Amino acid sequence: MDLINSVTFKDLKAPLFIAWQINSECNLGCLHCCEEAGHPMPDQMHKDQIFNFLRQIIELKIPYVALSGGEPLLHPQFFEICEFLRQFNISLKVETNGEFIDRNLAKIFARLKFRSVQISLDGATKDTHERLRLRGDWNKTVSACKALIEEKVNTEIVFVPTKFNIHEIGELIDLAYSLGVWGVYTGKIMRIGRAAKNWDILCPSDEEYDVFFAVLNKKIAQYDGRMKVYYYPYDVIEELKYRLRYPSASLLVIPNGKVKLIGPLPFICGDLRKHSLIQVWENYKQAWSNPKVVEFAKKVIEEPWLVSEANDWIELYH
Amino acid sequence: MVFTAHTKIREEKFGAVIFETLKEKIFITNRTGKDILNLLQKGSTLEEIVDTLVNSYSAPITNIRNDVTNFINQLKDNSILTR
Repeated sequence: MDLINSVTFKDLKAPLFIAWQINSECNLGCLHCCEEAGHPMPDQMHKDQIFNFLRQIIELKIPYVALSGGEPLLHPQFFEICEFLRQFNISLKVETNGEFIDRNLAKIFARLKFRSVQISLDGATKDTHERLRLRGDWNKTVSACKALIEEKVNTEIVFVPTKFNIHEIGELIDLAYSLGVWGVYTGKIMRIGRAAKNWDILCPSDEEYDVFFAVLNKKIAQYDGRMKVYYYPYDVIEELKYRLRYPSASLLVIPNGKVKLIGPLPFICGDLRKHSLIQVWENYKQAWSNPKVVEFAKKVIEEPWLVSEANDWIELYH
Repeated sequence: MVFTAHTKIREEKFGAVIFETLKEKIFITNRTGKDILNLLQKGSTLEEIVDTLVNSYSAPITNIRNDVTNFINQLKDNSILTR
């Protein structure tokens, strides 16, 4: 009856986590966006398809869902989706730029008892944040954090280091602590989407990363036991190497209902507008041993620039 | 003993998956572990769980009590059960 480790994702009857990009519409034009978010996807799932998907999440007892975009709060059914999932006690996280969150919305997040609201804050200062997050408003983002924290919503901050902001990691973590956030998450920038197009101006040098890690480790120690400061240890290639051996028990759903195998690869293992969620899960399990996938993944590991093709989808199942 | 707010449990063929979604940690247990989790969800005490398992397994009660206690302590150490 011990907790055991001998089970793999293939033994599970359904995924344990759904990362769902519910839209691609966004009010900002961040230079480092890995989705190239901005305009709505023309074939985005409509309301009936969304609720069909939601019902399957409940039936399969999937415990945890993260909603992102685009900017998910721009989705017309955002709160209907949240209400539905929370009604069935699914753990729910939203990843947002925070710009639409005022006191009233913070109260709704509190009432729905979100697992967390994760806000992208890419600078300790207004100038830095707004240079990277075009049309962004640092004051609104910080105000959103304050409103959520006042309503006792578990609030997390995500910081993506780039040449523009990497020097502010220490100040940002201090700011996060002063605001009362639950955790700060960071990890290397991914060479996908708009970030790939702007790679030369965004990607920090090894020397900049060395300084970043030194400050980060100091801050992790400084806030130990008081605030979670978490660095995701894999860059996109390391993640891919790891996932080839140990695929996760999660699905990445994009706004049109297609399901990606993993962010850095272009492979689509199903379409929730046509396939049931359980069918997509079975496709996903098989896809990780598909020679086409394995061969391409190995090629990407050898030639990391190929990650920039991750949004040129390749459908494995029609 | 109560499960923490962000803990989710799902039964599987091999037993159960326990997902502590706040810390994003996943634990796997076998069918006996799943039975204990079910009893805990119903509000059973340690002694009630031991009594139930004694009727299902041909092991000495002392061994069963030790195993159940260890299992519950693991759940508490991993923020799955409140202390």
